[in-house]
Amino acid sequence: MKAEKITVYEPDKFIKIGFFASWKAMAVSLFMSRELIWRLFLRDFKAKYRQSFLGILWAILNPVITVGIFIFLNRSGILNIGETYIPYPLFALIGISIYSIFSTGLSATSNSIIGAGPMVVKINFPKISLVIAAMGQAIVEFLVRLILIFFLFTIYGVTPCWSSILLPVALLPFILLTLGIGLFLSLLAGVLRDIIHLVSFFTTLLLFLLPVLYPAPQAGILVTLNRWNPLSHLIAGCRDILISGNLFDAAGFLWATIFSIIVFLVSWRIFFLSEPRIAERV
Amino acid sequence: MDTVIGIEHVSKKYCRSLKHTMLYGVQDIARNAAGLTSNPERLRKGEFWALDDVSFEVKRGETLGIIGANGSGKTTLLKLINGILLPDKGKIEIQGRVGALIEVGAGFHPLLTGRENIYVNGAILGMSRREIDEKFDEIEDFADIGEFLDVPVKHYSSGMYVRLGFAVAVHSEPDILLIDEVLAVGDEQFQRRCINKISKMQEDGKTIMLVSHALTTVEGICSKVIELDKGKVKTNGIPERVIDEYLSRLDRDLQKSEKSAGRRWGTGEAEILDFGLFNGSRERTDRVTSGDETIFIMRVKFNTQVKNPIFGILIKSEGGIVVYGTNSRWRHMHFDTFEVGEEVKVIFKQKMQLTAGVYHVDPAIAYSDGITFYDWQERALEFIVELPVQTTGFANLDSQISITRNA
Repeated sequence: MKAEKITVYEPDKFIKIGFFASWKAMAVSLFMSRELIWRLFLRDFKAKYRQSFLGILWAILNPVITVGIFIFLNRSGILNIGETYIPYPLFALIGISIYSIFSTGLSATSNSIIGAGPMVVKINFPKISLVIAAMGQAIVEFLVRLILIFFLFTIYGVTPCWSSILLPVALLPFILLTLGIGLFLSLLAGVLRDIIHLVSFFTTLLLFLLPVLYPAPQAGILVTLNRWNPLSHLIAGCRDILISGNLFDAAGFLWATIFSIIVFLVSWRIFFLSEPRIAERV
Repeated sequence: MDTVIGIEHVSKKYCRSLKHTMLYGVQDIARNAAGLTSNPERLRKGEFWALDDVSFEVKRGETLGIIGANGSGKTTLLKLINGILLPDKGKIEIQGRVGALIEVGAGFHPLLTGRENIYVNGAILGMSRREIDEKFDEIEDFADIGEFLDVPVKHYSSGMYVRLGFAVAVHSEPDILLIDEVLAVGDEQFQRRCINKISKMQEDGKTIMLVSHALTTVEGICSKVIELDKGKVKTNGIPERVIDEYLSRLDRDLQKSEKSAGRRWGTGEAEILDFGLFNGSRERTDRVTSGDETIFIMRVKFNTQVKNPIFGILIKSEGGIVVYGTNSRWRHMHFDTFEVGEEVKVIFKQKMQLTAGVYHVDPAIAYSDGITFYDWQERALEFIVELPVQTTGFANLDSQISITRNA
């Protein structure tokens, strides 16, 4: 007879087993959830586009519309966006596509636990899978947009830099940061629904504060703001890698990367330790 | 036999108010995040013990039934054993893989087909893709939903939904299966199939824990029963004894509450002013002889305009069993509108072919939909039936017994 696993449930179990043992438990649990994450991702993906006529095309339509509005505002002189070193539509589309990983990812992840319905309260499974699977939606949408971006590259006759192949690596800290914040917010949203509204407010606000649809300004208040905002470093870094191949602000990108990793680790741990509370409160 | 589920002094608290739930939730998360314990032993304002110092064990191969009134903590207990919730006090030790049917189909996505949902649900229950592939035919067979397998589950009937959910869960090969009141849904045939599957798992030496209000099912398949009452273990032992004790206590409580006052409910748009029993010579009485012609008269007043109501009576035995019921709809009577302030007399004439005993009657007036009531009076009237010959049961069939000897 095969050895049966013995499971013990007691209050504050993971605080009692000690620091390193609990990190190990976290890693094991995450590794064991890989198949579930994939399944949940597929489920969300299929379900999302099943009842929609345009389906995944929406992933392209959304940024195109936003960029279109900005092109219009720019051309009509309402906004003065300034000079970009590649054609503006391409510049803006790259920016908004990268930024959408954050905005779409954050709204999907923060809603993932409360949106999962009765399964959270009725089935025992690693809830982190829901959050990661939700993040997957944002990544897929980005990949679809990437096709459009390369299409625009050819139209405008701009050659992307060879370093574009490093994009997945460059995006990693950005994704980790989003996931980290998302993990924390999904947890908090379980007890405080206000989070969902705040997320949509802040992602809209940040879209205008960050150099997404316009090049980083060289003077003014936004310069200071951008210097201390890890998001602007990460977005600018990814865009640089795609277009020119050299990071304008390598130091900034580095600290933003370290910051992202720390946020992710802390958030992951908080999530793991508080996970049993979710089923009680949702 | 070794213990596979060990519950030691387990308590779990819940919070009644939503506001406190939010506040405590944020507090607990903050404390956990800082690596502090959340002081689970203390009750904060608005909290109560949903489970209070519960201890018992389940041995390998046993089938344990959990019974108790609503809100007694049965589902909470299952959720703790399943690890969905962590206890606030005490310790739970589980040996082996736990499969739980706390709400079947909880992970189903309405837009995905049954086939797709089998894979998702299997993964949520901890099955690998290969396991699901291997078991797929068995699951399909068991669910028995035919071509609906490739239809989005939102088009399923609730029975089909449950069947598919149950099929996936029992095929996740748990060593311990937790079942929460899911057998009550689904048709007769499916219920039988579930019971068969459970007996097969029992033969295979699996451990089963079953929460149910279906006491006959519990008595039939459990080897041990625990009654929970307000979060505590009230009785624990062999099924017959625990269930008997539970039922007799229930009866006593019921009688106590019924004696005090018959309940009355309804919208009040039509109102029963008076309800009485009359004998053949139109004298009011509470004592009739079995087989006699009797009349119930219901005086009704309409406080609003009422269209086509249904007038009915329900005769119950002393123990609360419905002995006879009839209404104007079943007698194919339809009425036009009754005006505001109108008073009518409804007369129910019948032969009282009941055996000797004490009976009581509920008169009622219902909407034409038969579901909503204008007025329903429980135990509005109590009467005694006398019968000179001895019989048992409720119906007086007035049997004549003769014998023919074929010599």
